Amino acid sequence: MTNVIAAEHLSKWYGQVIGLNDVTLTVPSGITGLLGPNGAGKSTFMKLVTGQLKPSKGTITVLGEPIWQNPRIYFSLGFCPEQDAFYERMTGLEWVTALVRLNGVGDREAADMAHKALESVDLLDAAHKKIGAYSKGMRQRVKMAQALAHDPDFLILDEPLAGMDPIARRKTIRMIKDWGRAGKSVLVSSHILHEIESMTANILLINQGRILAEGNVHQIRDLIDEHPHTVYIKAEQPRGLAREFLAHDDVLSLRFEDDAVVVQTARPDAFYARLTDLAASGAIGTIHEVTSPDDNLQAVFQYLVKA
Amino acid sequence: MNVAAPVARAPRTEPTVVASAARVFDLSLGQMLWSRRSVFLAILLGGPVLLAFVVRVLSAATRFGPMQINGARVGGPAVFGMMIWLLYIRFIVPVLGVFYGTSLIADEVDDKTITYLFTRPIPRRAVLLGKYFAYVACTVLLVLPSVMLVFFLVVPSGGGSIGEGFPSLMKDFGMLAVGLLAYGAVFAFAGARLKRPLVMGLVFAFGWEPGVMLLPGYLKRLTVAYYLQALVTHQMPQDSAVSMIMQVFHEVPSVFVSLVSLAVIIAVALWAAGRAVEGREYVLDQ
Repeated sequence: MTNVIAAEHLSKWYGQVIGLNDVTLTVPSGITGLLGPNGAGKSTFMKLVTGQLKPSKGTITVLGEPIWQNPRIYFSLGFCPEQDAFYERMTGLEWVTALVRLNGVGDREAADMAHKALESVDLLDAAHKKIGAYSKGMRQRVKMAQALAHDPDFLILDEPLAGMDPIARRKTIRMIKDWGRAGKSVLVSSHILHEIESMTANILLINQGRILAEGNVHQIRDLIDEHPHTVYIKAEQPRGLAREFLAHDDVLSLRFEDDAVVVQTARPDAFYARLTDLAASGAIGTIHEVTSPDDNLQAVFQYLVKA
Repeated sequence: MNVAAPVARAPRTEPTVVASAARVFDLSLGQMLWSRRSVFLAILLGGPVLLAFVVRVLSAATRFGPMQINGARVGGPAVFGMMIWLLYIRFIVPVLGVFYGTSLIADEVDDKTITYLFTRPIPRRAVLLGKYFAYVACTVLLVLPSVMLVFFLVVPSGGGSIGEGFPSLMKDFGMLAVGLLAYGAVFAFAGARLKRPLVMGLVFAFGWEPGVMLLPGYLKRLTVAYYLQALVTHQMPQDSAVSMIMQVFHEVPSVFVSLVSLAVIIAVALWAAGRAVEGREYVLDQ
């Protein structure tokens, strides 16, 4: 198995602040999850991997080549950043086409590739709508489309499921797994173990700028299951959803926030599966957004660091 | 979501800097033209048009009598020439250069969209170049209608002829374009290299340049305005005492020297800006 990323004593400082601290690791081909709470160093690592930042110390190679000031490597890389930033006045198709054109593709071919990429993320119906009018989930999906439109060998996804509705989330997870099966490599970051674990068992645990563990970490999973998991669901009928949730004993608590319901569950796997089925049935109206704060993961990391 | 949808494989030949810049230009021009900055500066460019309208009304009120500036009687073409030099070249062109030039990359960083451009197989300097040419096209499109309107309003005042003034108008357009190219390149460098490029740009355009232009010696050669003044085709009225004193220090390079110097300024500034962008890390606020 070849390595897609190799880092040696990799460090990054922002003035006096340490973003990443003396990280040595290799990431094999296939799907790898980068898991850590907000502020753990995930984004710094992603930016170093995508050549947006230069290492303060140490080295990093991606697909066997140094990434900093090496634009040629972006033929083989697709990057879906975390930030919700777009050219709002462009349509999804125009935007993806314009970005694919930067890969040296002709106009018509770029439009075809953008079209196919939008189709693959189920956004073809909204291809001619302005991005400014997209929902949060659609914006996530158009970001994915621009990352995969040029058919890269290695896809880097920074919090790709954030804000997606349950159905889009399930389909995106399936798509990422299909990518892995097709021989592509994917590095995907999240602060939710449940999300990462549904894509891969190969996980990098990062906290406070250091890699705490890497590989198949089922023990971590057991540990996380001991802590309640919080889920924020923005929906058309939050009270109807709450009634459905209360019928199950894994739901520990419920509270309402504007047009959302915040749930604490002891079994995130079962909860997410139920939520996806509910969304698919349409019985309780539309679910707009599902997010999870990282409090539960933070608690586990604190436990790990103390241990 | 059609997970199995096949996606065509992109060619993997590195595009040239010029080809890449052209594509960034395509992507950026529309964004730049319809930005809030362009709307604001379009309003600013309405100022000279309003002034020209006032000149036209006053001229009509005095039954096409000659206007007087600094005690000298001037016709419409001379008033137009003064407006080109004082309002456009010495004020509007530097303002456009400062506000667009310093923000070529900064806007993308502030909007957090720079990631999409810097993770494509093109050199970063191509991004800068493409955005620079988008700035030139955008500002020319903003300035052109304003100058045209001022020309048609002012030149006929006091008995001037539009037909006779037209070749001079074309030269003025050329001069304005060269001014936009030069100031844009200088401020693109400031934007790529300095921490407070807007402040530094304003100090350069409205502190340093007017200041050293009044002084005898070589310092004025370190300005863009010094070379641009050689391209002015209009005669300025020089009857006032201040104008007479300024004439003593007045030194204008030849058109050839000016054009070569401006070309060097543009090339060096763009090269240095490209180099700065290539080596700089852009940390986006999360």
